[in-house]
Amino acid sequence: MRTMNERSVCHRSEDLVTYLYNEASAAEAQDFAGHLETCEACRAEFAVFSQVHESILLWRNEALGSAFSSASQAVEVPAEATTDSRQFVRHEQKLPALAALREFFSVSPLWLRGATAFAALLLCVLGVLTISRMLQRQPQVTKNETQPGFSQRDIDQAVQKGIEEGMARASRANLPPKGEIKMIRPQKAENRIQLAANQSQPRSQRSRSLTRQERIQLAADLRLTPGRDEEELPFVFPDEPNQ
Amino acid sequence: MEMVGSDEQMVERALSGDPEAFGEIVRRWERRIFALAFGMLGREEDARDATQETFMAAFRNLRGFRGEAKVSSWLHRIAVNQCITRQRRAKVRSETALEDEAEKNAAVFAMPAEISPARTTEGRERSVAVRRAVCALPPDLRQVVVMKEFEELTFQEISDALELPLSTVKSRLYTALRQLQMRLQKFGERIG
Repeated sequence: MRTMNERSVCHRSEDLVTYLYNEASAAEAQDFAGHLETCEACRAEFAVFSQVHESILLWRNEALGSAFSSASQAVEVPAEATTDSRQFVRHEQKLPALAALREFFSVSPLWLRGATAFAALLLCVLGVLTISRMLQRQPQVTKNETQPGFSQRDIDQAVQKGIEEGMARASRANLPPKGEIKMIRPQKAENRIQLAANQSQPRSQRSRSLTRQERIQLAADLRLTPGRDEEELPFVFPDEPNQ
Repeated sequence: MEMVGSDEQMVERALSGDPEAFGEIVRRWERRIFALAFGMLGREEDARDATQETFMAAFRNLRGFRGEAKVSSWLHRIAVNQCITRQRRAKVRSETALEDEAEKNAAVFAMPAEISPARTTEGRERSVAVRRAVCALPPDLRQVVVMKEFEELTFQEISDALELPLSTVKSRLYTALRQLQMRLQKFGERIG
């Protein structure tokens, strides 16, 4: 565009704009077209004004291309138009999510698309991991919720109670009448030690045949043969199986 | 449903109590009034508000409408006054805030979805420059440009709407085009 200051101004400026906007009659248009051929100032102005006019039209079409669609919804007239309470309701136009996403990807550079895809993948993996961990924990939580926990004190009390009940039952069932209580002869310490030693040995060693001494001792322990010191027993239960 | 009859007949029917008549006037003129407001104000949101206020004012002053002028001229006059009032208020608030905000919004507003991906940076800058140049015009020049370029009114219609002589309308448009050309030339040198 040429600078306006460089040009002289013609007196036919009004004819110029009339011609520019196609509002001149046929005769006027023909007349001014002839003038343009001879007037350099008007020719230059016509050229630059045409550019300005096109620039404004371009802006208008871009701006109002989208604005008109929303403007047509911008002013709504309700049925009761003659009342003072009429309201003009606006509606915001929004792109659908998919279209917005497509628009985003179409204008984004390659690195941004890659980063977005990677972030989405990472989110998916994290989501799957979180869900799997939640599914694993869920039964435990249910068990804990349905079965109340026992404290150590509860367990001790239950054990103690069980022991007492067991002892009470045993004492009721096995307690002999007064005077029938016999003392059980304590085993000799060395025999017991020997037996314990045999039991503590590995199975392969324990499976060896017993010596004579051991067999005798075992029989005596099991009451299969009367011991030498049977009379030394302080008392014996009357319902002893081997008596 | 469209109603049959001239704008002036719609006004008469609205005054006689027809609830649909004024709605018909709004439907006929809302796009043009919005275009005028957008050209004057440069922002979609402001243009919507100004359009709304224009029809509200027209409805309130329906009884003041003189049958001498056209309804379209009457509505345009109201719209221009609304826009000028809004601009004055905005100028009092902040001289530059409107421009800056309009510039921010223009990047989004002035890009239809079909064109935006393919548009060049220069094209966007040029649109912004044109908008700023138009917004920077004095109101009396700007309203003529907007009525001509955005509403595509004839010189005679502008003359009727603004109640100005035809020659004044043409000379204002000529002056406005010169000012716009100078502003855009600066823009051309800057990006060139």
